[in-house]
Amino acid sequence: MRFDYVAPATVEELSKYKKDGGRLFSGGTDLFVKIKAGALKPSLVVDTKKIETPKIECEEELKIYMNTTYTDVLKSECARKFDLLLKILIEVGSPQIRNRGTPVGNIGNASPAGDFLLSTYIHDGTVVVAPSMREIPISEFVKGPGKIDLSDEEFIYAVSLKSLDGYRTYYEKVGRRNAMVISIASIAVAIKMQGNVIEDARIAYGSVGPTIVRFKDLEEKLIGERPKRELFESIAKEYSDRVKPISDVRASAEYRKKLVENLLMKAYLNMNL
Amino acid sequence: MIVIKISFKLNGKWVETDVEPHKRALDFLRDDMEMTSVKEGCSEGECGACTIIVNGRNVHSCLMLAVELDGKDVWTLEGIVESGETYIPEAYADVGAVQCGFCTPGFIVSTKVLLDENPDPNEEDIKKGLEGNICRCTGYAKIIEAVKEAARRKRGDAS
Repeated sequence: MRFDYVAPATVEELSKYKKDGGRLFSGGTDLFVKIKAGALKPSLVVDTKKIETPKIECEEELKIYMNTTYTDVLKSECARKFDLLLKILIEVGSPQIRNRGTPVGNIGNASPAGDFLLSTYIHDGTVVVAPSMREIPISEFVKGPGKIDLSDEEFIYAVSLKSLDGYRTYYEKVGRRNAMVISIASIAVAIKMQGNVIEDARIAYGSVGPTIVRFKDLEEKLIGERPKRELFESIAKEYSDRVKPISDVRASAEYRKKLVENLLMKAYLNMNL
Repeated sequence: MIVIKISFKLNGKWVETDVEPHKRALDFLRDDMEMTSVKEGCSEGECGACTIIVNGRNVHSCLMLAVELDGKDVWTLEGIVESGETYIPEAYADVGAVQCGFCTPGFIVSTKVLLDENPDPNEEDIKKGLEGNICRCTGYAKIIEAVKEAARRKRGDAS
């Protein structure tokens, strides 16, 4: 497979190469697999790593820029209090993948199994799109598997995550083994208690629909309630009824529906609410 | 043929050469630089046989272009051994962690990165540090033992 290579240093040049049909990559952990498999046959690949940005900023929110790798985030001092995010990222791929792959690339790929993508949903993430630097909530940005709200000249510049300070959190990815797994299903839960009632609840699932799944109306059913087992059992059943997973090489739709229910109960029982 | 000039440090020595834009770092290192410890296994970032060290981190050379090596500090097993850091390959050999040997260079490279960051890894740290390398012969028990032994030798503990 032959192709040309460029590594532009400015947002404007990068935007132009993309508009002309260039395929962007930073770590290449998705692009070069697709090229090898023959799924993509680009005539030009565009290396984004010459674009200079900060790596990570953390003030109110945690902002992760393009070209920042998973390892960069895991080693960052300021990401320390994003413990749910770190739990999710340490399970991504393998050291070799985490050393090259990027959270921004995971959003660009927009797989419903995307591990980082799951974290952006639970953290109410916002995507910053270059060159206009427009900001868009993640749930509006992702349109479906591999489909994102980008025009030909646009690319993802950064992603911001809101803090979950004061929340109790749970994460689990179900797969055939630990390393290098594409999940059969995954769950992230964040619950904030006030006294003995639930003040806020967020529940996100991966790999059980065309993109990451969050149902706001079901989350709201938990708010203001005491965290009783019966309540969670009935909500878990509702999630299971409502998700529309597919059957694929990794698992059947029926199995995934059962997992949706069981994973929420497992989260509940482990969170000591 | 379009070529791109790159200049990088390979096993401690600066190299300047022309590469084709589409050439993988794996093919460039094996065929042009004759670093045959860099093995082609799955070619899709699963098996870790092609693992090299770039700026202190272990990466898959099959998912990287040769042009991306420009300006980088690159190490393969050849350089690790030449520079006298033989305690890892020796530990692998001494405890019997090598069978067919195809995966071994990748394992040693990942072991070096692990031990440089964590001189006293426990079993979980070792499993996590080597989770990107696959061995189809040993069943891993001997490999884990080899890493513990290499760590002891690196720290200078009597074994």
